[in-house]
Amino acid sequence: MTDTQAAQDERRTRDAALSALMRQAQAGDRVAYRQVLIGVTPYLRRAAGRFFARPADIDDAVQDILMTLHTVRHTYDPDRPFRPWLAGIARYRLVDRLRGVSRVAAREVAITLEHETFASPASNTDTDAWDAHTVRQAVAALPAGQRTAIELVKLQEMSLKEAASASGMSVTALKVATHRGIQSLRRLLGGHPLL
Amino acid sequence: MTKTDDLIETLAAQARPVRRLPSPWVRLCLWLLAALAVVGALALWHGARPGLGTLLAQPRFALGVAASALTAVLAALAAFLASLPDRARGWALLPLPAAALWVTTIGYSCLAQWVSPDGSSPPGETLRCASTLLASSIPLSLLTLWMLRHTARLWRRGPVLLGGLAVAAVTATALSLLHPLDASAEILFWNLGVAALVLAVDGVVGPRLVQRLEQA
Repeated sequence: MTDTQAAQDERRTRDAALSALMRQAQAGDRVAYRQVLIGVTPYLRRAAGRFFARPADIDDAVQDILMTLHTVRHTYDPDRPFRPWLAGIARYRLVDRLRGVSRVAAREVAITLEHETFASPASNTDTDAWDAHTVRQAVAALPAGQRTAIELVKLQEMSLKEAASASGMSVTALKVATHRGIQSLRRLLGGHPLL
Repeated sequence: MTKTDDLIETLAAQARPVRRLPSPWVRLCLWLLAALAVVGALALWHGARPGLGTLLAQPRFALGVAASALTAVLAALAAFLASLPDRARGWALLPLPAAALWVTTIGYSCLAQWVSPDGSSPPGETLRCASTLLASSIPLSLLTLWMLRHTARLWRRGPVLLGGLAVAAVTATALSLLHPLDASAEILFWNLGVAALVLAVDGVVGPRLVQRLEQA
């Protein structure tokens, strides 16, 4: 008997065992059901690993498939092979998750340090606000690139994409210029606690 | 213990006996019984169209009715087959030949009976046709979506659209048997228009309704 035949026979035996366990699980046997879920998890990890790279995403995908299996376990016909049924569920959930990830990524913008607001309560009140004239003077004293970045991103509160479009600078250059602009303002405004 | 291990323990603890889904053939029979009941009730309420016996002896008419009825049967079967995770999605193509025949007979009827300027339907027929459309398609659509509720986390759109095609074909069959639709525009509207309308509504509302039914 060749290796391929032996592997096929082993797969058939495993499939028959899972089919029998699933039949018992459908009847309410919790021990059998637990064995099914544990038995299919390595296969599901391998399948999810073909779609996702990060371990956290693979775990999430595996759990999604297990929950779906739980929800639709009444659709399994024990007279039919178990593996195609499991593979079908895995395929639909993985493709669905992949579509969801693409949709979210298309709408998301990564948050960087420059986007974070200050945690100090004082920064959210008017009591310690700078004199507007002083701030304008300090901004006007900045080098051109830093001044543009601070005006667009911080004062006009544009997104990085909008500011890049308005200024002709790349998003990366804007991030660098904003960071340097804040450091420059800190020096110009005499090390104010809010900077 | 990982989160996956925790989930496995939780799911195993929640395992209760489930009522296995009947085979696609059994579900088709149940669905056909419901469709026959709906059409039968409409026939009792409305009465058959005048001269139905004579019309059924005409090959063109008989073929058109047979084609729409066959489309309904095959589309429903395809919906129940394709909704299962271990069945090939190719089953979705099952009703296409019958649907093509149905559309061909409609087209031929349109060419053979061009609309006359004074129309051919009695007054009020449009309203009666609309009531048959609603009385047939709404309950059958709801039943079909309920029978496909397990697709909420699987392939939703395909089986729901196939179910919509089955409902549209049953409705068109009922309209042909119960109402004098002789003018081309009427044939086109109450066959293809109905099919398009039911598919559009089911296509938009169906997947969301299936999800709600699955959660209920």
